[in-house]
Amino acid sequence: MKWILFAWKNVMRNKRRSLTAMLITAMGTAAVLIGGGFALFTYESLEEMTARDSGHVVLAAARGFDNDEDVPLQHGLIGAAALAAHYGTQQGVRAVAPRIQFSGLISNGDKSAVFVGSGVDPAVDFRLRGPQLNFVAGEAPGPSEAVPEVAIGDELATLMKAKVGGSLTLLATTTEGNLNAVDVVVRGIVKTGVPDIDRRLVMTDIRAVQRLLLTDKVGSLAIYLKDTAQTEAIAAQVKAANPELAVRTWRDLAVFYQAVRALYNRIFGILGLIMVVIVAFAMSNTLGMAVVERTREIGTLRAIGTQPGEVVRNFVLEGVAIGTAGAAIGMLAAGLTTLGLIFAGLEMPPPPGRSTGYPLLLSFSPALYLGATLVVVALAAAAAWFVSRRAAHKPITEALAHV
Amino acid sequence: MNAPTLELPVRSATVRLTDLRKRYRVGDDWAEALKGVSLTAAAGEMVALTGPSGSGKSTLLNLAGLIDTPDAGTREIAGHAVDGLDDAALTNLRREQVGFIFQGFNLVPVMNVADNVEYPLLLLGRPPAERRRKVAEMLESTGLAGFAGRLPDALSGGQRQRVAIARALVKSPSLVIADEPTANLDSHTAQQIVDLLRELSHERGAAVVVATHDERMSAHCDRVLRLADGELVKGERQ
Ligand SMILES: Nc1ncnc2c1ncn2[C@@H]1O[C@H](COP(=O)(O)OP(=O)(O)OP(=O)(O)O)[C@@H](O)[C@H]1O
Ligand SMILES: [Mg+2]
Repeated sequence: MKWILFAWKNVMRNKRRSLTAMLITAMGTAAVLIGGGFALFTYESLEEMTARDSGHVVLAAARGFDNDEDVPLQHGLIGAAALAAHYGTQQGVRAVAPRIQFSGLISNGDKSAVFVGSGVDPAVDFRLRGPQLNFVAGEAPGPSEAVPEVAIGDELATLMKAKVGGSLTLLATTTEGNLNAVDVVVRGIVKTGVPDIDRRLVMTDIRAVQRLLLTDKVGSLAIYLKDTAQTEAIAAQVKAANPELAVRTWRDLAVFYQAVRALYNRIFGILGLIMVVIVAFAMSNTLGMAVVERTREIGTLRAIGTQPGEVVRNFVLEGVAIGTAGAAIGMLAAGLTTLGLIFAGLEMPPPPGRSTGYPLLLSFSPALYLGATLVVVALAAAAAWFVSRRAAHKPITEALAHV
Repeated sequence: MNAPTLELPVRSATVRLTDLRKRYRVGDDWAEALKGVSLTAAAGEMVALTGPSGSGKSTLLNLAGLIDTPDAGTREIAGHAVDGLDDAALTNLRREQVGFIFQGFNLVPVMNVADNVEYPLLLLGRPPAERRRKVAEMLESTGLAGFAGRLPDALSGGQRQRVAIARALVKSPSLVIADEPTANLDSHTAQQIVDLLRELSHERGAAVVVATHDERMSAHCDRVLRLADGELVKGERQ
């Protein structure tokens, strides 16, 4: 206790210098916490978004994820209805959505374009995707009628000059390798915010797709869970129960999520490294000056029986005091920023590959705060050790002669 | 050496320095600062070291106080043979046995008077109650009882040197080293400081070796040794 007090008094000896080091440390800590909080929030949003899109656990036939089919749905899933019924009632499962991904040409009679289609169960799917499917006109298509209803991407709608209520024709290769066509009516126009998707997206009732492709298979079954954290557990369970099927989680399928995560990890990792360097530099500088100024005092303390290690320890305590104070200020600043952003309602510009922004919020992670504090304090201690160990071992007569 | 009145049966000589030599490199040459000096001091004895500037007083004090190493010769303090000890052991020996009083006071500026005096006891790991008692005692006997909470900056030179005396003696060392302790003080204050140091070291049985230029000061010591050019000059009161 006496030693800590002594260290603190020494910190306060040159208030302005110590305060500068504290503020630099605080800024570094805050920058890392804010950057890290932003990255975490992005990851969480993307997790949520991706899981909503693909489902948490996705089931397909053995080679259903291989994308090397000779004809559509060659590796489709048979008996999906029974599986859907089984897992639909399982604990922790919110819903099971059968899907068929297909593609072909879409035409308005005058011109045609490539589409990427998604056959879904209208009763489940549109509810599950929630706010991600933003209907800019019309509404979600209903169950398949004589003339099936579709929702198409807004850019595709522009391309096809399609309005809600308008007619279009879908042309696709069947599971037997022949061409087949179906007339559809536009029920809704959606904007996902990803231009590449909005230019090609066609969504319709999976039964209409099965009729178009002449099959009763589905491409995959998406199992939606109540809690994302359960993903791995349920996936393992499903895999064990269906060894003949292929099971993937949203994480396996989330290319965009993985890419963003890798990118942000790198960006914020580098930011963290820069902060480490800055904090280490500020600390060594401040403590280094203190050590030089106090050379004679170090000599005095050594003469009256202080071990070099004890001299170093005193400086380490000073470093820890400055580091802790700086980290505390930084945490406070980051915490207030996190709170402030909740009320500020700021919007981030669209991320790469998207046309819509998202809210600027920070995630609060106690682990991140704790980790940053430990790193800062360890850095301060290391800097103190580094700059004081030589002075502590200087010959005492030399140290005493220092002016 | 032959001061029979001061020879105590148990601790005959608290400090025994024998044939100490020390030289410094000066350019390509060697300067002989001490050319074989021997000195003993008994518990409670105050020995003055005089001599012209550059005669080797500080060099001898540094060797006696274990903050420098001789090129040749042997040292013994409070029954401990010093030679061959490593830095940590020397530091421990200083911690237990040696007090220092400096010309420039050398108090720790961020510590108040009581904390400065307490510091050596803290190093020795003495329990808080004992530390409090000894510090209070020491402040009392150095006339600083009312100044415990003052920072050194707010004290006069004489008061600062009293704090330094208290800091040096609070652990009841065997040896106190004082290099020109009164050089920064006016002669009246210097007198008081010497008397205080003498009285307290007698009382606590510490041998004091004090380097000084001041004749009046050496007059208050038990013995006066004179150094000239790195050698002891045989003279009066030895
Ligand atoms: N670090 C050093 N490097 C080189 N020479 C030194 C060093 N310290 C002392 N000397 C030399 O050793 C001799 C003795 O010096 P010392 O400081 O012991 O003298 P002193 O009697 O204390 O003098 P003063 O009364 O001026 O304090 C001098 O010639 C001095 O120049
Ligand atoms: Mg000298």
